[in-house]
Amino acid sequence: MGAPGLHAYLVLAALVFAIGLFGVLTRRNAIGILLGIELMLNAVNINLVAFARFNADLVGLVFTLFTIPITVAEVGVGLAIIIAIFRARKTIEADHLNLLRG
Amino acid sequence: MSATDHALHVLALPFAAFVILAVLPWLRRKGRAAGWLSIIAVAVALYRALTVWAGGGRGEATWAWIPADGGPIATVGVLVDELSAAMLVLVTLVSLLVQIYSLSYLDRETPPALGRYYTYQSLFAFSMLGLVLSPSFLQMFIFWELVGLCSYLLIGYWYDRPSAARAAVKAFWITKLGDLGFVVGIVMLWASTGTFEFGALFRMAAERTLPAAGLGLIMVLIYLGAVGKSAQFPLHVWLPDAMEGPTPVSALIHAATMVTAGVFMVTRAMPLFRLVPDVLALIGWVGAFTALLAATMACVEGDIKRVLAYSTVSQLGYMMAAAGAGAADAGFFHLLTHGVFKALLFLAAGAVIHAVGTNDIFRMGGLFRALPQAGVVFIVGTLALTGVPPLAGFFSKEAVLAGVWEGRMTGPFLMLALTAFLTAFYMFRVIFIAFFGRAHAESHPHDAPPLMAGPLWVLAGLTVAIGLRFVVAGAGEHHGPGWLAPLSIGLALAGFLLATAMYQRRLLEPARLAAVFPLNVLDVMARHRYGLDALYAGLYRALILGFSRLIGWIDRYLVDGLVNFGSAWTLRAGDLLRRIQSGRAQDYVYGVAFGVLLLFVWAQWVRR
Amino acid sequence: MTAEAIGFWLVAAVLLATSLAVVLTPNLFHAVLFLAAALVSTGVVFLLLDAAFLFAVQLLLYAGGVITIMVFAIMLTEQLVGERLRQTSRWVINGAILAAAVFVGVLGFVVRSARPARPPAADRTADLARALVGPFAAPFELLAVLLVAALVGAIYFARTED
Repeated sequence: MGAPGLHAYLVLAALVFAIGLFGVLTRRNAIGILLGIELMLNAVNINLVAFARFNADLVGLVFTLFTIPITVAEVGVGLAIIIAIFRARKTIEADHLNLLRG
Repeated sequence: MSATDHALHVLALPFAAFVILAVLPWLRRKGRAAGWLSIIAVAVALYRALTVWAGGGRGEATWAWIPADGGPIATVGVLVDELSAAMLVLVTLVSLLVQIYSLSYLDRETPPALGRYYTYQSLFAFSMLGLVLSPSFLQMFIFWELVGLCSYLLIGYWYDRPSAARAAVKAFWITKLGDLGFVVGIVMLWASTGTFEFGALFRMAAERTLPAAGLGLIMVLIYLGAVGKSAQFPLHVWLPDAMEGPTPVSALIHAATMVTAGVFMVTRAMPLFRLVPDVLALIGWVGAFTALLAATMACVEGDIKRVLAYSTVSQLGYMMAAAGAGAADAGFFHLLTHGVFKALLFLAAGAVIHAVGTNDIFRMGGLFRALPQAGVVFIVGTLALTGVPPLAGFFSKEAVLAGVWEGRMTGPFLMLALTAFLTAFYMFRVIFIAFFGRAHAESHPHDAPPLMAGPLWVLAGLTVAIGLRFVVAGAGEHHGPGWLAPLSIGLALAGFLLATAMYQRRLLEPARLAAVFPLNVLDVMARHRYGLDALYAGLYRALILGFSRLIGWIDRYLVDGLVNFGSAWTLRAGDLLRRIQSGRAQDYVYGVAFGVLLLFVWAQWVRR
Repeated sequence: MTAEAIGFWLVAAVLLATSLAVVLTPNLFHAVLFLAAALVSTGVVFLLLDAAFLFAVQLLLYAGGVITIMVFAIMLTEQLVGERLRQTSRWVINGAILAAAVFVGVLGFVVRSARPARPPAADRTADLARALVGPFAAPFELLAVLLVAALVGAIYFARTED
């Protein structure tokens, strides 16, 4: 068994992505959903870096460098929204946040 | 100027009058001024028509109309020959007299209504002249429809009367039934020969190059147009109802000119009809039968105008019978003389109606003393109609009978002879009931005013003059056997004597005579118009109602059903789809993930 | 088995285990801590891929920034609610099936794709720096704008009504 190839990293990223998706789908708590999203984004970052490494390409790295701050910004805004919702509705249970109901 | 130029002027004058009246409402609403404009136009047209007739010129002028690859499909123009020249004179003359007469007859109309009347009259004159001048079937058909339209408009002149409106619609429908055959016939003729033009068609007929296949059917279809227009059995039912129009209209359109268009057309297309003897025989038999049928109905009719209408149907049958027997010139001759004396009869009846205010002959009586002028001219017309020498009708009627006899059509001849007897009977019945007999005390009728009396005397004079001219010059080539003239006079005399016996001398009680078999059956049947009107009304009603019910059912259950089905399912589907919108973000993520899965499946397994 | 291979399998195992812990543990606070561990593991994966600079960024921003914000947020809401935040899961089976299906879908692409050879290792940090001030200068500046906007937005959302 030699050094792990590109596929090993891609499969690892896909697994993390699936786990994150599972979290997004099943968590009741809004912060829990946010955690799932973080995992999915990390999986994407792994992919980008792995491609950059194996294709000797710089763009993947640059993209990752952009994604990380954007993710941070997203988390910041997301948490702010959650706190605002919590103030208004006294809950952050996603099941109860159904104002969009048709 | 050539004959065609004159003919074009004849055509253009009434058209100009119509256009002026149609586009200048202020003039039309003046009523009498509009009338005079129309009268002057038709008077000049009469002068021009007389020029054409006296000149005896022939000619044809055509212009290409529908351009197409390889020459025009259709042409328009004027065709002047003896036939159309004679019709020009008849149409313009009767139009002129009727229009003058109408000024007085319709004196109680409001000016706008009178203006409308004269606008229609001008249009009718133009259309009828265009019809007789047509050099092709197509142009003839167009003017054919135009006169039909004028007939509809003028029958429905008093459109606020339901009966008049109904009669107008009935006339329109029933003549359209025949016109359908006409248009299909000329189109089929065009399909097999490639031309609408009489000239080209007659040349082909003479050279025997006309395709024989299907010609019989084509000519029957074309003849159908004449059946509708000239009120032949079984489409004659509209003409008596058309009497709802003003009496001058009946005189002009439904006695002298438009209804004879069918006879004119058959006469015009005679070279084509000669190629199919079976169709000619059909025309003859139908004509004779129509003549007899209408005469029997006239015998039991109480409305003076309807008696004349049945008489017109009967005489049209005469003309058609002559045409069918191959004596088209005799039929056309009868058309001309009949146009004069039947217009006279109608106008005289109109004078009577104008004076007493009713159409019912049983509410008239002893009118001869009160209305001597109308009475005299009515009797002159009656004598002409019954075929008493030396009046115009005698010669033409004898020519028709001779033509039918020479055509070896014994059956139609016998029917026509019987009709001659009946004609004398029903006409003198009207005279004895309306003009003689006991006067009704309550009415104080006034005789015809000058504007009405003038046309009456002109027509009466013409009736006599035409007859006298033939006494001097000898009439036509159809003399028939030597016994024919005495026979026809004898039949007329027999009818006169029977009418005298029943209605003047009271030797025979009409009611008791009508009760004797088989006359009682005939009486009842004739009074019910042989059930034809009821049959048509029933058919019409059944068809329209059945169709309406069908449409109603389709609308209620199919269209509405579809709409309701669609709306119900839209509602239900909306309700179902609404539940998808749970408002929970995670459910939407399920949707996104599922969509991504579908994309994966499509990209990996389907797209390859 | 090379040292790198051993390192990869070890890190992969840790990453997957901590990730599962993030989505499965009922205690929200523990979940955040597991997330921190997962993020650090990801950083190590970056290191294995010769992206040392990104490893640093990952540690600084995620482990240092995001986790701190989250912990603050959790403690803030717990303080507001007055009880410990527990979290439960719903429709676990459905979520697992769908997530597994998505994984299989991605795997389909991975299996079918080419297997490039691993080029020799090189330190790309200098190149990265040049790229950020060279061709990617404008997006980089826009990123700064985004961060400011996010900061302002977060403050606007989270401020109390007064």
